[in-house]
Amino acid sequence: MFAIESEELSKVYRNGIFRRQEVAALTGFSIQVAPGQIFSLLGPNGAGKTTFIKMLLSLASPTSGSASILGQKLPDVRVREKVGYLPENHRYPGYLTGDQVLRYFGELGGAPPGAMRGRIDSLLGLVGLTQWRTMKVKKYSKGMLQRLGLAQALMNEPEILFLDEPTDGVDPVGRKEIREILKDLRQKGKTIFLNSHLLSEVELISDRVAVLDRGRLLKVGTVDEMTAAGQAYVIGIGGTLPESVALAARAFVMGLTQQGENITAECRTTAELNRVIDLLRANNVEITSVIRQRNTLEESFISLIAKEARK
Amino acid sequence: MKIITLIRGTIRELAAKATLYVLAGISTLMLLAAALAVGADSTPDGKTITFFGKQASPPVTNEMLADLAGKLEAGFAGGLFLGIVVFGVFGTAGVIPDALEKGTVDLYLSKPIARWQLLLGKYFGSVAVIFLNIIYFIGGLWLIVGLKVGVWNGRFLLSALLLTYVFASLYSVVTFFGVLSRNMAIAIIAGILYLLLVAGPLDSRQAGLYLISENGIYRGILDGLFYIFPQIPAMESGAMHIIAGEHAEAAPYAQSFLSSGGILALSAWILHKKDF
Ligand SMILES: Nc1ncnc2c1ncn2[C@@H]1O[C@H](COP(=O)(O)OP(=O)(O)OP(=O)(O)O)[C@@H](O)[C@H]1O
Ligand SMILES: [Mg+2]
Repeated sequence: MFAIESEELSKVYRNGIFRRQEVAALTGFSIQVAPGQIFSLLGPNGAGKTTFIKMLLSLASPTSGSASILGQKLPDVRVREKVGYLPENHRYPGYLTGDQVLRYFGELGGAPPGAMRGRIDSLLGLVGLTQWRTMKVKKYSKGMLQRLGLAQALMNEPEILFLDEPTDGVDPVGRKEIREILKDLRQKGKTIFLNSHLLSEVELISDRVAVLDRGRLLKVGTVDEMTAAGQAYVIGIGGTLPESVALAARAFVMGLTQQGENITAECRTTAELNRVIDLLRANNVEITSVIRQRNTLEESFISLIAKEARK
Repeated sequence: MKIITLIRGTIRELAAKATLYVLAGISTLMLLAAALAVGADSTPDGKTITFFGKQASPPVTNEMLADLAGKLEAGFAGGLFLGIVVFGVFGTAGVIPDALEKGTVDLYLSKPIARWQLLLGKYFGSVAVIFLNIIYFIGGLWLIVGLKVGVWNGRFLLSALLLTYVFASLYSVVTFFGVLSRNMAIAIIAGILYLLLVAGPLDSRQAGLYLISENGIYRGILDGLFYIFPQIPAMESGAMHIIAGEHAEAAPYAQSFLSSGGILALSAWILHKKDF
């Protein structure tokens, strides 16, 4: 059984007075998320990330396709007892204190009354808000609200956690803390579904990543798989690279650029790299260093989106 | 139960707003004025109610004094009803649009709550707050008249429930437009316009809209509409009759129960179909 599964899920929003204006927010989206994973959905603004979560939580109804959570076909009210959600742009009643927010939404989420006090205490401690618990939420800073939102999502001890941009507005130390909390939750067997465009964040903790653009799934895989395609090497050379040699190399590598005494060669395999080096040596180009550049998810993400845009 | 939690949350939300303190403040001022103004006088010819020390009517027997007190209370209740419509609707019309706002509705609906439960929790929370305001005012006035005139009118106390019922009926219309537009101003305007342009003219159609044409179909349609929509004016004047110890029809209350129930069901259905 998958924690989350969607099959050909699509959403077309209809706007305008006569609902004539159509926005395809998500198109034929199929993914499977195994339990106990941190799964990240990555994509630029407007890609459809939030739309996907909203359909899983029945905030919006699919135009076509189907989805299930913990093996339960959606829509289903009861399955939300096992789900925690941190929405983007969440707004808590400003007249409540942090403590009261957790109690109110905890009750609505089905947290047992007997366990309430203990859970509030430990969650406030977990997100570092204990000293602010009696302050009205309207006086909270953005990062504090985000922390409160995370605690709120955990109140009913969910099996699946949906987090829409959880580190938005949180300072670097806080981000690291949140990452640690998420890793800890994974340790306990929880499934975490993250939405983000902050790729560097996702890269550090995700087991699997899906890249979404304009409603379509571009790629899904582990972080390593995502970054493996096209390894970049920086080759230091003495002097300049003759244009003819550069042209010859470009014939077989993915890309080759030169900045001063450095060449950046994008190769599919190490054999390709060696071919570049052979070519350079055959043309009497002096090699001073070869450095393997680790492709960050950020780069492969951008190149994926760029390729899609060119289509 | 989740609905109880929602009702409590709504009461707390409204308690944090200024509008209802204004309403409670006006009630308090009116009660203080009543406490100062209302009194009773015994004369050799019988008893009479006094207003700022002046006799409000010729002296009457004890029995007729009760009638007089009832009329006085009915007058106050009529004033109160106006206050409820203006301040009550203003104070509570934002409850549903606020709950449906981006960022808030996401939180509610991600919980194991059905949408109709959210709607009813918010609806009854608002009605409960208005009930508290009404019971404060009516209860206070009941005490004042009882203590100073010596007439304890149980029907007056009961009218607190009736007036809450009338508000609840009107509030179903406000709720409907709140769900439809997710906009507080539109919900307020729609509620007031309903009262002024629909419920009022339909209630007094014999003296107004009927005169436009003698056509049977036209008049039949007016009658039909009258029975479809909540009969706010009929219920209000019924409550005044009951306070004054007179007979009142039960039909408007029963029929408005169905209308308002239908309007709430329709609102829930519209909410159910919405994408957030
Ligand atoms: N309620 C709605 N009504 C109409 N269109 C909508 C609605 N919600 C989203 N959209 C549209 O659907 C598309 C996808 O939006 P979505 O919020 O899912 O993007 P996102 O990937 O979460 O973006 P971001 O990173 O900015 O949060 C956008 O074009 C958006 O305008
Ligand atoms: Mg989003």
